[in-house]
Amino acid sequence: MDAWDLLSYAAWAVSALLFIWMLADAWGVGRNFDEDFLLSSREGEE
Amino acid sequence: MAQHYAPPKQGGMGQFIDSILLMVLVFICLLAPVYLKADHSAAPPEEAKEEATKVEATWQGLGQTPVQAQQWEKLGHTPETAKPIIDNRFDYAVDPMALIVTIAVIVGYFVFVFRISDREYREVVRERFGDGGN
Amino acid sequence: MSEATTAAGSASGQPTRIALLKVLGPVHVWALGVGIVLVGEFMGWNFSVGKGGAYGSLIACWVVGLLYTCVAMIDSEVTSTVAAAGGQYTQAKHIVGPLMAFNVGLYLVMAYTMLEAGDALVVGDLMKAVAGELGHADLDPRPFVVLSIALLAWLNYRGVFMTLTVNFVITAAAFLAIVILFVGVSPWEPAKVLLHKDLLVDLPYGWIGVIAAMQFAMWYYLGIEGTCQAAEEVRSAGRSIPLGTMSGMITLLIAASLTWYVAAGLMPWEYLGQAITPLYDAAKLTGSGTLQVILFVGTIFSAIASANGCINDASRAWFSMGRDRYLPTWFGAVHPRYRTPYRAILFLIPIAVVFAFQAPLDQVISFSILSGLLGYTFMSFNMMKFRKQWPLGSIKRGYVHPFHPLPAIVLLVLCIATYFATFLGYGATLVAVMAFYILASAWFVFHRYKFVRRGDQFTMPWPRPKGY
Repeated sequence: MDAWDLLSYAAWAVSALLFIWMLADAWGVGRNFDEDFLLSSREGEE
Repeated sequence: MAQHYAPPKQGGMGQFIDSILLMVLVFICLLAPVYLKADHSAAPPEEAKEEATKVEATWQGLGQTPVQAQQWEKLGHTPETAKPIIDNRFDYAVDPMALIVTIAVIVGYFVFVFRISDREYREVVRERFGDGGN
Repeated sequence: MSEATTAAGSASGQPTRIALLKVLGPVHVWALGVGIVLVGEFMGWNFSVGKGGAYGSLIACWVVGLLYTCVAMIDSEVTSTVAAAGGQYTQAKHIVGPLMAFNVGLYLVMAYTMLEAGDALVVGDLMKAVAGELGHADLDPRPFVVLSIALLAWLNYRGVFMTLTVNFVITAAAFLAIVILFVGVSPWEPAKVLLHKDLLVDLPYGWIGVIAAMQFAMWYYLGIEGTCQAAEEVRSAGRSIPLGTMSGMITLLIAASLTWYVAAGLMPWEYLGQAITPLYDAAKLTGSGTLQVILFVGTIFSAIASANGCINDASRAWFSMGRDRYLPTWFGAVHPRYRTPYRAILFLIPIAVVFAFQAPLDQVISFSILSGLLGYTFMSFNMMKFRKQWPLGSIKRGYVHPFHPLPAIVLLVLCIATYFATFLGYGATLVAVMAFYILASAWFVFHRYKFVRRGDQFTMPWPRPKGY
């Protein structure tokens, strides 16, 4: 167990946290906003 | 005005299956050449590595000049470890049958895609701009 | 909800519409294009040396440079006119038709997601190499691979402006690293560090090797066309995209020449042809610790910049296809606060991780290159149809490229040569890739297209195309 091992564990942990944060945020957005609004962007519109 | 096509709504389950299906397809096609071992690989094959340890190699025998040998050594290689790398050559002999099949596949693919696209595109234009046209 | 309300710009105070943010300038376009590609100078291009020798690689580099100049010219004209997030996908939809558009969208997603996986692998390999040199043998590279993908996806999720500003900084730093290495090997004193005279040998496979080398010579430039993906988020697409793309192309031509010159003067071609991180190895060979550190940082930065740009581009293409129902509509969502295609970004994370862990690097690279090549073949036909269906003057174009149809024809000829180059040595991969796109097309025609609204796909305010 040295600094590199610690660094590896830290990398796994941070990756997991970021991924969970994104999932949670996406889930929250899906609950708080109307689906039709989220899908309302139109191509090429100013 | 042409009649507008009204698509069915797709449920959640259908959407999920459609997303996964494409990805599964990619993996099959990506891994097929690997498992069938059909292509040359950038990494030298295992047998070559074993063979290299048996035969005694020298830089001269590998066709390397003293300067080249010096650079190899700076990169941490000995004639034994360099041999499989140097001997791993491509085979550019063209198999005419394989070439013809490959050409047919690529040309066939583009012809297919362009023809179907054209048919679908006409439908899109008809709906967008109405019947008639120029 | 307040941000969403202002975002939608609705008069009644009720949010109605949401859109991607228009915040980018030419600098970001440059950062996106060069950022994706520059990693190719740090790894990957050298496989072309393995296929055709050092001189073969240089000739192929120039010929393929011509191919990409055509690509940049064509792209600048079409994109400055069709400004939407899907880039070439949207062009195909308006000019050729739905099935072609679906295929082009897939080329983009596959080319970028696989490149992203390759970039992350490079980061992992470098961490392992450094740990090895500092006395920790056999470090598991996987956590670093996953971390780079997760971190960049998170950055992308949080907004495009920050993502591409970061990309500009690290891309510029990586480019500087190449320039520093070039200066560091004292090119004005031949035979001191650079040993071209002793290391350069005749073409090992003859001229067929030069053609074969074109496959990996694409790696010098692959991805520069990704600038189009930013079209919907650029403040004035008609000006920024041609400017960013062309200046990016010039940057890459310079970087490619410097890279070849340094690497060919330091390593025997047999070694170079299979090296994982050739420029880092070159720095090691100079014996300078400072250069080694600079090139380590440069390689990491270039890989991160590339993965970052790839996430950006792949998710835009996936998002656009979702918006048109070519893929499940669920993916067509825009984040109400960050204004990014967040679901597409999220979905592609595990895909990239699996590519990185399950497939060998040269296989992933070949799949990526071929997807790009199929896209360039499309662009050639696309350009001819574009000028035929809407002749000059019939619609407003942001930029008109000179010498039409010469670039389109040159592009097609070079594409054919590159297919042949791939056939030499990677024939089975070529057929496997074609099999994928043929099966996917069949799936689209027989199953998926029924969910697509027909007339709504055509969103540009153009007159009816000539001949339809």
